[in-house]
Amino acid sequence: MQYIKKDLGSFKLHLIKTDKFKTVTLRVVFHSPIKKEEITIRNILTDILLQSSKEYNSRRDLTIKAEDLYAADITTNNQRVGNYIVSSFILQVLNDKYTEKNNLDESIKFLSEIIFNPDVLNKEFNKEKLDIVKNNAVVALNSIKEDASSYSLIRLAEAFDKNSPLSYRMTGYLEDLEDINEANLYKYYEKMIESDYVDIFVVGDFDNDEMLSTIKKYFKFKKLKKKKEDYFLKIKKCNSKRLFAKETIDNTQSKLAIACPVNKLTDYERNYPLILANIILGGGTDSKLFSEVREKNSLCYTIHSFFNKVDNLLVIAAGIDKDNAVKTIDLITKQLNELKKGKFLEKDINIAKEFYNTAVEEISENEHRIINDYLSRELLGTDSIDERIDKMNKVTKQEIIKASKKIGMDTVFLLEGVKNAEN
Amino acid sequence: MQKIDLLGLDIACYKEKLKNGLEVFMLPYENKKNYFISYATRFGSDVLEFVDSKGKKHKLCEGIAHFLEHKMFEQEDGVDPFTFFSESGTDSNASTSFDNTQYICYGTKKFEENLRYLLKFVNSPYYTDENVLKEKGIIAEEIKMYEDIPDFKLEMKLREALYKNSSRRIDIAGSIEEINKITKEDLYNCYNSFYSPENMFVLIVGNFSYKKALKIIEEEIGDIKNRNKPKVNTIKEPVAVNTKEVILKENIEVPKIGLGLKVSTKNMKMDDLELDLYLNLLTTLIFGSSSEFRERVRNEKLLSSMYIEWESLPDFKTFYLMASTINPEKLLEEIKYELDNLNISINAFERIKKVWIANEVKIIDSIDATVNNIFDDILKYRKIIPNKLDIIRNMNIDNMNEIIKNINFKNISIVKMIGK
Repeated sequence: MQYIKKDLGSFKLHLIKTDKFKTVTLRVVFHSPIKKEEITIRNILTDILLQSSKEYNSRRDLTIKAEDLYAADITTNNQRVGNYIVSSFILQVLNDKYTEKNNLDESIKFLSEIIFNPDVLNKEFNKEKLDIVKNNAVVALNSIKEDASSYSLIRLAEAFDKNSPLSYRMTGYLEDLEDINEANLYKYYEKMIESDYVDIFVVGDFDNDEMLSTIKKYFKFKKLKKKKEDYFLKIKKCNSKRLFAKETIDNTQSKLAIACPVNKLTDYERNYPLILANIILGGGTDSKLFSEVREKNSLCYTIHSFFNKVDNLLVIAAGIDKDNAVKTIDLITKQLNELKKGKFLEKDINIAKEFYNTAVEEISENEHRIINDYLSRELLGTDSIDERIDKMNKVTKQEIIKASKKIGMDTVFLLEGVKNAEN
Repeated sequence: MQKIDLLGLDIACYKEKLKNGLEVFMLPYENKKNYFISYATRFGSDVLEFVDSKGKKHKLCEGIAHFLEHKMFEQEDGVDPFTFFSESGTDSNASTSFDNTQYICYGTKKFEENLRYLLKFVNSPYYTDENVLKEKGIIAEEIKMYEDIPDFKLEMKLREALYKNSSRRIDIAGSIEEINKITKEDLYNCYNSFYSPENMFVLIVGNFSYKKALKIIEEEIGDIKNRNKPKVNTIKEPVAVNTKEVILKENIEVPKIGLGLKVSTKNMKMDDLELDLYLNLLTTLIFGSSSEFRERVRNEKLLSSMYIEWESLPDFKTFYLMASTINPEKLLEEIKYELDNLNISINAFERIKKVWIANEVKIIDSIDATVNNIFDDILKYRKIIPNKLDIIRNMNIDNMNEIIKNINFKNISIVKMIGK
């Protein structure tokens, strides 16, 4: 794998050349500081751009064009990374070797058509298309409780700190949806194109010079942009008294979610010892939480913890019976305290390290993971894969204990299932 | 050992059948770091009754195949298989479906040890009263978790509407009441009957040496005899759907609909794989993302999400369509209209074939996707399909029309799920 980064002024181009794949994957990434009131319009924008363009007037025409390009796949997504919103337009298409000459060029042109040549007249998006997209958003927002796990995590974040970006709903908000119209959506589009930071990543088997000129031909951004706010989120201090929040839902199972802020981590701790601490606590089927809460006490089917290093927040989540909530919280607290006291074995550390190593090694086997990896190096200054494996292998038990001691337990949220089991 | 080239995909499958009947399929890759191993039995939740070699009939608790899958991870020596694999950073898991149960591990290190261990632990059942009891609480939470997912409930209700007798109307995990009846003796009975070499297969894809892999498989499984020879009778299922229409009231904001089309294949003379391809192509043309139907219902704001799928069982193929919509009546009308007024365009027919061929090439790039793809073929067609690209290329509209003639498009079940 060969990596070249080019600063083209208005955007950065990252070319990752490898003969591992039969496809070429291209991702255009727009990023800017997140604002709560802009999440909804951002979602609507990325959706409407995939509904039609100037040249392809309907979603069906766009789809047929993509199919004709040997099933070129174009998707978009919006995610929050710390203090930023990151919007991606992703193209994946077979290499010309498996299709025909110019299919790749045509596909990249097609992606640029979608981004730069939207279905706009007199600085307004098409009203009918906007109505469709808004309608879909209403349906999605109204169905938010159908996925009880993710709903419980949203509610946990809001109970934990409703002013922090980590509590912003990436699904958007119904009240913001009403204000979006054809004209202000176009203004927002212009703003994103002109003022967002842009990175373009390409992974696949191509000639670097050719790819560079193809990208220059189809992607023209005007302005130079200055850097930049920190991506890492400042987490609030842990309350000395634990906060409990509850909501009921007409389900049979209850979802327990616990927010554990991790304060004053060093960069090193955030990237290494605490990652291991999280794996030992609730990373997989060997973790303390899995073996204690599920295997020994049969209290749940799912339980795990995950650490978001950009947010400095560790979250523990489990699906339980509501009558077992107190018992489960006690067991979880006990496991977290044991972690802080160093009650785990060298073997547990080695398992956690191997788990991490495999995950890092597998990055190179998947186009999207490769791009994510280079993106996090670009945005967050993450170490290279070799450096990471090397540093992680050297982490000591004392370092894990020291970092674990910074984990607080602030907010416990229970989405209480109040439906009687039908059996 | 047989070498089967997958034509047009730059990859080969090495296939072997051991003396005891176990089949082995291996697809080594040269440019990958990771590997994926699956050890599977053709025993899933479909089997609720069987006759043993002495002619004795055994009735099984619903959900037993899935329960057994959970309990395979219990080992007499106290070693937790998850932990064994984790020590080399290898992931492991298991899953139960209607027609199979599989045990998998995937990673980048210690291939030989992990393969050996995977085979070993699945070949060493250890069930006790205590460990069976312990699992009941865990599986009860798993069942409840699924029950709370509206889409899952919709599918289950649709299954009940479509089938009268088939075990496809029952949740793979069973019910809390049924699993509470399961004993260790029941588990051993199922294990001894269905975890036999001739009922199982091994599939390996990725970075490994197929010669070494086969040697390990032979060492671990070569001497295992087939135990009970169970006979599973096909459950008789009428051609007509069980219930035409069901209305459900659930705690949802946006209504959902499910539509199932039950197709009898008794009079279809086509090869099973080709039949599946044509049926899939048919519904992709009618309801797929580039169909006129999709464009129309999108513009009328009738559809926010949709999911389509075919399922195979003896003598039947069943089509499932599930969607979220703010106007269930109107959307159903549109769907029925499409089924009653089939209109296949030759351009679209050829275009979708091109898409499928491109997708086959994309799939082979990913170890995970390839495992799923090949696993399905082995399960459904009991073989590797070396010329799938050609089969797709040769599909033609005359065959399609012939199939359409044999389908009774009125044989449908509908489930409407609306808010309380």
